[in-house]
Amino acid sequence: MTISSKLLTLSLLAVFALASCKKDKEDDDHDHGHNHNEEELITTVRAYFTHSVTNDVVEFSWRDIDGDGGNAPVITGGELQPGATYAVSLLLLNESVTPADTISNEVAAEAAAHQFFFATTGGSLTWSSYADADSNGLPIGLATVWTTTAAGSGNLTIILRHEPNKSAAGVSAGDITNAGGETDIAVEIPYTVL
Amino acid sequence: MIAAWSSAQSCDFELSGRVIDEHDMQPLAYAEVFITSLGKGAVTNDQGHYRIEGLCPGTYQVRVHHLGCEPVTREVRLTSSTTIDFKLEHHAEELRELEVIQARPDEQVGQPAKSVDREDMERAAGTGIADLLARVPGVTVLATGPSIGKPVIHGLSGNRVLILNQGIRQEDQQWGSEHAPSLDPLSADRITVVKGAASVQYGSDAIGGAVIVEPVELPRTAGISGELRGLGQWNGRGGGGSGLLEGGVKGITGLGWRVQGSGRYLGDSEAARYTLSNTGQREWSGSASVGYRDHRRGASVFYSRFTRELGILRAAHIGSTTDLQRAIESGEPWYTAPFSYAIDAPRQTVTHHLLRVQGSIALTDRNRLEVNYGYQANDRQEYDIRRAGRSATPALDLWLATHTAEAVLKHWIGEHVHGKVGVTALAQENTNIPGTGVRPLIPDFRKESIGAFIIEHMPVGERLELEAGARAEGTLLHVRRFDREGQLQAPEHRFTNAAFALGASYQLSDSARLRLGLASAFRPPHVSELYSEGLHHSAAAIEEGDALLGSERSLKATLDAEAALFGGRLRIDATVHASRIKGFIYLRPDGTRLTIRGAFPVFRYTATDALMGGLDASATLKLSKRFAWRMRGSTVHARDQRRDEWLFLMPADRLENGLLFRTASGGKWRAFEAGATHQAVFEQRRIPEGLDFAPPPSTYHLFALSASASRTLGKGELRIGLQANNLFNTAYRDYLDRFRYFTDARGTDIVLSVRYAFGRFAEKRLHDAG
Repeated sequence: MTISSKLLTLSLLAVFALASCKKDKEDDDHDHGHNHNEEELITTVRAYFTHSVTNDVVEFSWRDIDGDGGNAPVITGGELQPGATYAVSLLLLNESVTPADTISNEVAAEAAAHQFFFATTGGSLTWSSYADADSNGLPIGLATVWTTTAAGSGNLTIILRHEPNKSAAGVSAGDITNAGGETDIAVEIPYTVL
Repeated sequence: MIAAWSSAQSCDFELSGRVIDEHDMQPLAYAEVFITSLGKGAVTNDQGHYRIEGLCPGTYQVRVHHLGCEPVTREVRLTSSTTIDFKLEHHAEELRELEVIQARPDEQVGQPAKSVDREDMERAAGTGIADLLARVPGVTVLATGPSIGKPVIHGLSGNRVLILNQGIRQEDQQWGSEHAPSLDPLSADRITVVKGAASVQYGSDAIGGAVIVEPVELPRTAGISGELRGLGQWNGRGGGGSGLLEGGVKGITGLGWRVQGSGRYLGDSEAARYTLSNTGQREWSGSASVGYRDHRRGASVFYSRFTRELGILRAAHIGSTTDLQRAIESGEPWYTAPFSYAIDAPRQTVTHHLLRVQGSIALTDRNRLEVNYGYQANDRQEYDIRRAGRSATPALDLWLATHTAEAVLKHWIGEHVHGKVGVTALAQENTNIPGTGVRPLIPDFRKESIGAFIIEHMPVGERLELEAGARAEGTLLHVRRFDREGQLQAPEHRFTNAAFALGASYQLSDSARLRLGLASAFRPPHVSELYSEGLHHSAAAIEEGDALLGSERSLKATLDAEAALFGGRLRIDATVHASRIKGFIYLRPDGTRLTIRGAFPVFRYTATDALMGGLDASATLKLSKRFAWRMRGSTVHARDQRRDEWLFLMPADRLENGLLFRTASGGKWRAFEAGATHQAVFEQRRIPEGLDFAPPPSTYHLFALSASASRTLGKGELRIGLQANNLFNTAYRDYLDRFRYFTDARGTDIVLSVRYAFGRFAEKRLHDAG
């Protein structure tokens, strides 16, 4: 054999050895397939409005159990009493897996990297203040205080920002303008004040 | 013509001799020896002998051409019958016997093929391959911030530009616009851009054109050669380096080896007014090759590994259309931090392996068989900003393995016609590595394709050369995906395609050449276009595939003129192109969808028919012995024919003017070069309505300065270069930068480069410079 044909033979052997051991792994994957679970999905936002005097609880919710696409989200508004103060707590879930993941626990665990912002239309419902704080003493928004005035209706908006700049001007008072970060949640839910 | 006046004299002289291989002194059979002005010539026999009879006295240009060799032209003064031996060189510039199939631009008869200037390659050391290629008129860059760039040829990029690295089609998830080519431009000796539809030669995907990256051929004789490069970059506060060492083996002529390695380390880039936080990058690559070749046969093995880690601008990571709107309105990134070398999420890591085995054997003097096998593995992870410590878990984790093989028979038919016929095969498998916790952006798939091609060249007379070729290719695509209910689906797609190419090269005079090409190309849709499904974060859009899409088919005509006028004082090079792409696939808005992050626009992959055309031109005017003026420019016009509107995201018109200074000597320093350039990139006004989130950026002007010089140092050659880009720290945004919604592009950059070469590299570079 000449040098060149020896080289060629050797190298071809090396190639097939390399190719075949890699292939085993891939074939294995291919035969079984993997359904990749969406771990980080947020499917559900629930807001519990607790009346400061009667302790009655009204639930608002925004649910899209199959995530983006597929079926449209189901949005459920609620009815509130006029001239009242409400303590509001938020629950975030991933209901695409069983049992459902409580995403609000992840938010609480990384409180310094998250902040909720709120807005309303219609004038009968107003967000008033944060009722929780992270380790730096800056607000989170999983617990907040709201007030109602006269009868009317409108929408309430809940926004969750990941990695916002909480120390920027106005942010800790609930002004989203200078918050930055990226939006993890931005939902709108109708309300009625009777 | 030169000999015409002497026709009264006796015309019975003869020119004879041999054509031999310079390195092993073997005779070269079937080399053509032509006298340009007479259209008279001969072909060498088995012993390499030629003889041209009936010549008058005079001075003639004699051109010698051999399959796989760059033609050699020599002036011969004939006063009697004369014997002249021609040696065809094996230098990198002249002859790549083994690599000739894929790579030699001269094989492109009709297609415009332009190599990146060596001085540009020197200057662009430290930039990615896309920025380097953008020095060729007609090539632009599709960027994703300062760290990611993809080459765009005549407005087309990604899956429509084929990159041929070491003769192997690069398969590195090139469908993604934020996936830069995984290869190191420092490993290349020559980079050529083929600006025509090139499917016949290279197979599917070469709709816009092809980029051919070639190393120097391996040495064949003993003696160590090498090259060391160092690079310092002001913007990004980093640099890089590379080293190359090669040699032969004493006593075995023809056996050679080479090892090469390089690295880059950069921190955050700086825009004119702020730091582009989290845009650092690191690259490590290395390769080794060994090979043997003589006149009749050759074999080589090559392995390279390329690793890149890069950060993606923090401020470009957004979660909703409101965030995008906010970024556009504020006019600057919402997140900036002091300069840092750290790379945090969002970030990418990519490792690309390439193994290539080649062999070639001359079956007869007129036929040569070449086989080429390549294995590539592309390992890509993309990390996103995620909750609960998941930022350390990749959100995208893909393994793409590709086998390619080809067998090509290069042959002669009769005296003049030569060409090649071959079969090519590809087997590819894409795997989503489990554990990301994210629904995959593209599904797992397996792809097999097989093709056959033929391409023939025929000289007609002395000035005209014709080329014709055809290819047929079939592709089978098996997809495995899970639907929303978690049910496994395994759709299959079959695509069959054919392409042809016709070309003509006409030598108008010794200093002017016209090339005319008419060629077709095809591209089966990529899995991403068939089955994408989900939110594209930095685009704030939902992208949906369409499983019913068919192949794109294009027809492209090119006319290329190269001429040296006024005794070589003015050199011009212009390419006019026009193409029609049937079934052109692009993303089109299709309503909005309400998600938990708010309402998002939905973009669906849609096919249309595209009509494109444009002009690339460059001209160099010698002002004096040392000064020259250079202009380069390009324009592309692209219409969506079905909707009668402009196509989205086409490069804006651009024009570059430069004053160049060059002198051969100056004391110890030689080949001193300096240049000042101005580049204007105009506002893109040819845009479709309603496809974009923001209007195109306005016209911008960039200025650059450069200087370099060489000297002998010890046994080698030292070259030092200094370059300043974006000299006036202009704040600008480019239409083809996907991050133009979020930030300005890079500000001033100063690059210092040093190269030390010895052995044949020093000789070669000095020769080039002289």
